[in-house]
Parts: sequence; structure tokens; C-alpha cells
Amino acid sequence: MAIVLAIVSCLALGYITVVIGWPRRAFTFSHLLFRACLSVGFGFGLFSLSFFLARMFGSSHFIVVDICLLALLVACYWLLRNRNAKADEIQPAAALDVPGWLRQTVSTAFVVSLSAALYSTVVRAIAHPHGEGWDAFAIWNLHARFLFLGGDHWRDGFGALIPWSHPDYPLLLPAGIAHFWSYLGTPDPRVPSVVGVVFTFGTLGLLFTSLDLLRGRLAATLGGLTLASTPFFIAAGTSQYADVPLGFFFLAATALSCLDRGDTNSRSALIALSGLAAGFAAWTKNEGMLFLLAFALSQTFATIASKRRPSLTDAHPRSRLIPLLLAMIPAILVILWFKRFVAPSSELFSTREAIVTRLLAPARYGTILQWYGKEFLRFGHWLIPGTVLLAMFYFIAFSKQYRAIMPDLRPCYWTLALTMAGYFAIYVITPYGLHWHLRFSLNRLFLQLWPCAVFLVFASIPVKAMPIVSS
Amino acid sequence: MTVAILLFVILCLPSSIRLICDAPNPFHITIDDVARRSDQRFAAMKAILPSRGVVGYMGASGNTGTEDYYLAQYALAPLVLDRSTNHPYVIANFPNATETEAPSNLRSVRDFGGGLYLFATKDAQ
Repeated sequence: MAIVLAIVSCLALGYITVVIGWPRRAFTFSHLLFRACLSVGFGFGLFSLSFFLARMFGSSHFIVVDICLLALLVACYWLLRNRNAKADEIQPAAALDVPGWLRQTVSTAFVVSLSAALYSTVVRAIAHPHGEGWDAFAIWNLHARFLFLGGDHWRDGFGALIPWSHPDYPLLLPAGIAHFWSYLGTPDPRVPSVVGVVFTFGTLGLLFTSLDLLRGRLAATLGGLTLASTPFFIAAGTSQYADVPLGFFFLAATALSCLDRGDTNSRSALIALSGLAAGFAAWTKNEGMLFLLAFALSQTFATIASKRRPSLTDAHPRSRLIPLLLAMIPAILVILWFKRFVAPSSELFSTREAIVTRLLAPARYGTILQWYGKEFLRFGHWLIPGTVLLAMFYFIAFSKQYRAIMPDLRPCYWTLALTMAGYFAIYVITPYGLHWHLRFSLNRLFLQLWPCAVFLVFASIPVKAMPIVSS
Repeated sequence: MTVAILLFVILCLPSSIRLICDAPNPFHITIDDVARRSDQRFAAMKAILPSRGVVGYMGASGNTGTEDYYLAQYALAPLVLDRSTNHPYVIANFPNATETEAPSNLRSVRDFGGGLYLFATKDAQ
């Protein structure tokens, strides 16, 4: 009963948030699944924030906090319902013109790969309920135990005494898991295991439905096939790595910003959800903060630049940027408080002199570039490198003429490029052994961006009709 | 476009086969021993240690020792384990050792078996 109440509370928080931001009710398969996937992620994010806020203020009445938050969201929905009723609806995109047999082949392949992913996930989750590797019990679930069992002393787990547990990492996963445990009254190891599985398939669902809405069913099945066939993605999800939830929020922010077209009302609502997703990404891992910065910069620049091209948007940049930035604020404030008053300083930033010395060492740049190249070829544990397949597909399948007519994806490419550049800069200044650091983290960084990269490649598929039509 | 899509699909599928091959055999699943090496192993010790605060910790060096440390920390949270012997109570965790002697500044309080001991400073109560 307690677990049902926890799941219902979590989903209700997420669903109402999505409903506030979604322009209007739609009942196609893709709309419903997209909304459901977003609700799960956003619900977990809000569950995490509300638990952490309760801990911050020394409250142990988590259910009361949930009810207050739910009431606040319902009030927001009630106030905004008239505005949302006027908004445009996103229509599923027209399909790409390919032979029927090919469409069926791709669909069958997708079903096969999805079944393989499901089978692998279930068996792995049963065999490794605490996750494969150390991440789960040495970082995320350990922090969750401090938050849940620590009472007023929960901060003890975020000092420098526990080495390598990354006490400066944000707490989306630990606080969300601890919130579920507080409903159950016990630190049940099945909760983080299920959370890992849910985010894995939530990411797949989000990728499939967002591509379906933007570029049609063929692009959706191709994208879904690519992600479901990535062995490392499935393994990381069942290992309870935070990189999978982080990838989910990267993808949610990117997909929502791409769907954000149409009139002013739908724009402000969807772009606000997109900002919220970027905020949750920042609350998941430190890399999420880099993404948030890259995302905010890219979207700001693209919106201001689009004023010079009236065909792309008719609205004033403020109507897009203000909701985007406002939606990021709650997560940013909580992160700032956590970093200022709880977490020790990051291990990555040493003295200024040491950083300058590393910045001026050209050999480091060469080494990192070499590793980026190597990881590009071996990422994902594919039998045939998926990155190479995707790149080849992109350049063979799409002509320049088609790519040139889709400028709405540019800020997403900029975000991806800026985030990758940020990761590169962190490697340049890392105080750890460069080879060691690259060896044990680069594949995770690629994994975080992988769902976004797959989305952007298949979102570039040209369609006969644009996906938005005015109501 | 048709050729590119078909080729892409054909080259993707082998990785799905790898997913199935690499997954544990569902008829002979061996559930990992994290719980046995963590919560179960430290249950008796947890009952006599304070639930909060900081205690010392000593264990094997190297990668195995680090994993043992995290399993202990995970089991005993929210008690913090400091990898130092400068505390009134010190946990000695040597799962692979047959016998462990207390360092000169510590005395043995209890042997929990399996290479797990609780030591204390000589003046600790």
C-alpha cells in the first residue's frame, strides 16, 4: 500500500507539471506515451526536490510536503487552464516516403531490439539488485541512506571523510530514492533498481515518441532501434549509473525545445518544461550543470538571432527566454544551497597555478583528442560501432538541401557541442592522472549525450509536412 | 535513402544479439553477493555501534580493500567510517585474512568472524 501511495504521489506531481506545460489534451499514442515518460522523469525530479527541501528545513513530514506541492501545482494548472486551451496542438509528423516493406522491416527490427533490451534488463536487474559495479552502493544509494537514515545528521555523509564517494554530486537520485524509502519506512534495495530500469525505458520511450511527433514513425523506430541496440546503455541502466537519468533529462530538454514551435502560448509552455528538464539534469550530476549552461546559452543565442529571421518565430525573444530561464531557477537555487552549505568543494578544481600549468600543456590536448577519437569508435559495446553507423547514416541518407531547411535543430547541436567542449576542458584541468580519468569516465560522458545525439540525427530526417499545424 | 536505412537496420541487429548473449542465463541466475558482503556481514556489528558519528576503519589496501570499505560504509550508514585508526573505536575489515592482530595502540573488543573485528583504543570504555 505504501509503495502504491509513493508511486501515485510521484506520478501525480509529474503529470500535473507536464499538463501545465502541455498546450492541450491529445489522445494519440505518441502524445500519451511522451506525456507519460515526461511525467515519470519530472515526477521523480520533483519528488527529489521536495524531499531535499524538507531535509533542508528539518521537516520529516514528507507526505505533507507532497500534498502542499501537489496543491500548488493544481492551483497553477487551474490558473493557466484558459491560456492552455488557446494553444496550438502538436500534430504527429507526416511519414517519410519509403516503401511499405522497408517500413515493416524497420518496425520488426525495432520490436526485436526492444525485446532483447527488455530481456537483458530484467535478467540483469534480478542478478544484480544492487547494480553492477560500485557506483550504486558507493555513491548514489550510500547518499540515499544518509538522507533517509541520517535524520538531522544527514549531512554527515557529505563530508570529506568518505573518499571517492563524490559528496559534491547533486542529489536527484539519492533524494528521490530516499523519498520512496520514507514512504516504505525501510531502505528497500528494489527501489533504486526499479528507478534505474524506469529511467532506461523512459529514455527509450521519450526518444521514440518525440521523434514520432517531430519526424514521423520511421524516424521514431530508427531512433528507438539505435538506442535499444546499445548494449552499454542497457547495462548502465541496470547498473544504476546516474548517467542514464542524466541522459533522460538531456533528451527531455532537447526534445521539448525542438517541439517548442507554434504560437506564443505553446512556446512559452513547452520551453518552460524544457528549462525544467535542464534544471533536473543539473540536479542529477555535475555534468548536468555544464549542460544547463550550454543549453541556456544556445537557446538564448538562437532566440535572439531568430529575431533577424522572422520566418522562424514571430514572437519577441522575451516570451521564449523568460519562461525558459524561470523554469531553471528552482533547481539552480537548490543546487546553489547544496554546494554552498553542504557539499565540499569539487575535487576537480585545484589551485589556480596548477590549472594554468595544465591549460598550457599542449600534450594534454592531444591525448584527450586521441581518447575522444578512440571512444568514438568503441563506445557502446556495439558489435559494429554505433557511432560510426550513425555518422555514416547521417551523411549518406540526408542531402544538404534537406538539412539546410531545419534551422530549429541548430541550438540543440550547439548545446551538444558546447557540452562536449566543456567535458574536454574539465579533462584538460583535471588533477587526476589524465589517462586514468579518461579511461574510467569518458564512456560515461558519451553515454550521457548518446540519446540526444541519436535524437538529433533522426530528427534531421526530412518530412513531407512540418509537424505543427495551427488549430 | 532506402539502401542506407536497410543497411543501418542490418548492422544494428547484431548488437541486440550481443545484449541477449551477454545477459546472465535466466535458468542459472547467480544473484550478486553485495547484500551478503554488506548488510548481512555487518548486521551484528551495527547492533553494538552507535548509529551516528564517526568511527575508524582499517582494511586491506588496493582495489579489493576499497570495495570492502564501501560495502562496510554502505552497511553502517549513517555512521561515518574514517580510514584512520585515530578514533576511540576502529573497525578492522579483512575478509580474506585468517587472523588479524590489533595495532599496538588498540585492543580487540570483539571478533565477529570472517575477518571482521572491532578494536578500541586502550583508554576507551
